[in-house]
Amino acid sequence: MSKDVLVIGGGIAGMQASLDLADQNIKVHLVERLTSIGGKMAQLDKTFPTNDCAM
Amino acid sequence: MAYSEVEEVKGEVGNFAIKVRKKARYVEEDKCIGCGQCAEKCPTRVADEYNMGMGKRKAIYKYFPQGIPSVFTIDPLHCRTIQGKKCGICKKVCEAKAINFEQKDKVVDLNVGAIILAIGYEVFDPSVIEPYGYKRIPNVITSIEFERLLSATGPTAGHLERPSDMAMRDEIKSLERRIAGLKGTIKIFEERYGKSTEEFYRQYKAGELGEEKDYKEWTKAHEIMPEVGKKLEELKSKEPAFHTAKSIAFVQCTGSRDLRFNFWCCTYGCMHSVKEAICAREHEPEMQSTIFYMDLRAHGKGFEEYCVRGAREYGIQLVRARVAEITKGEDSKPLVWYEDRVTKKVERRPFDLVVLATACVPSKGIEKLSQMIGFKLDEAGFVKTDPASHMDTMDTTVKGIFVCGCAQGPMDIPDSVSQASAAASRAAEAIKQYG
Repeated sequence: MSKDVLVIGGGIAGMQASLDLADQNIKVHLVERLTSIGGKMAQLDKTFPTNDCAM
Repeated sequence: MAYSEVEEVKGEVGNFAIKVRKKARYVEEDKCIGCGQCAEKCPTRVADEYNMGMGKRKAIYKYFPQGIPSVFTIDPLHCRTIQGKKCGICKKVCEAKAINFEQKDKVVDLNVGAIILAIGYEVFDPSVIEPYGYKRIPNVITSIEFERLLSATGPTAGHLERPSDMAMRDEIKSLERRIAGLKGTIKIFEERYGKSTEEFYRQYKAGELGEEKDYKEWTKAHEIMPEVGKKLEELKSKEPAFHTAKSIAFVQCTGSRDLRFNFWCCTYGCMHSVKEAICAREHEPEMQSTIFYMDLRAHGKGFEEYCVRGAREYGIQLVRARVAEITKGEDSKPLVWYEDRVTKKVERRPFDLVVLATACVPSKGIEKLSQMIGFKLDEAGFVKTDPASHMDTMDTTVKGIFVCGCAQGPMDIPDSVSQASAAASRAAEAIKQYG
């Protein structure tokens, strides 16, 4: 039995889910295929509809 | 654990046994301080995936400058040392002594109570839509490629250069390097044999010298030089005509809502193009953007106002038409063919750039993962959510495994974030009950 959670994918969804779990004192293992987390969103310049920087 | 992949999943809710392969970076993560000395000195240049191949990175690299973890990785397919050639420059310059060519993959065992799938999506490859000429016609690019052109950390530092001009500039640079190399070769031989190239060439052609390897190389360098020089001059004469993009066409639903490719809507394409057109005008005050759309789906909070503002303040022209074909035009300007619903005629217009708003498709590894873990996929190939709940929850068809973001279906960033929080709550409930 384990109280840890595995999150597969380190994009915006995976990062948000991991942070939410960690905030509840749950141990999270985040696995990302690429060398850096960030996913597709890290490739975006800005986001709609506020034109905030995506990074 | 970045640079890792899940290899095996066994067990059930409350008690999953996982094997994760942590790939060798050939760089010690705890020693690397991310200074970048290694990448600066690395001699191997490779197309950069982060910039969609439009820029170059080194064989030792960071996926993007702000990337986390802030450590470098050696790409084993391109590293000269790993490929058995002589190099090792990165190891010499690394003051932190972090480079380790002997590093091996590690398999890590984990025991978890619940799993969240956040495996995202893939951008549809539009080269299968033959009439749009992606990769065949210059200056036809995808929306994510355009995003990199707009970005200050992109290959053009945010200048809206046309890819055709960028390619020509690259060719000029490589020809210049070639000439410098040839000149170097010739100089070495001139010094080695103590005579001018003209003198040598005359003697060699007259048969006064033998057929030594050096002589052959010297002759080759001398004979090629004018040809390369001519090509360089020709390209350089075109350089004054290079210009940044002043008009852009956005082609909506490229591969989406199209029964030949993907029947579903990508949900963010309309807003993405409006945003890119607004940003383009901010980069180039004379920018004229035209969006060719089927119907503009501005469905979220503040989206409609954003579209109206784009049209009013940023001069975006919205044309309701399905683009039929894109053909080559003069000055590397693609021609967009469409039926104008006002004039009821087939029209064509040249643009500096054509941006294809590409579809959102399931990520490449999704099938392998679904077979490994046992969760089901829906008819589009995204993760199926549990129909028993009769609601769009984050539960997959396997108990204790949850899904969020574009792994579940196409969605924008705010939706991904709220789904992620929902999946996290469901996972927390599951481990409380079963873990």
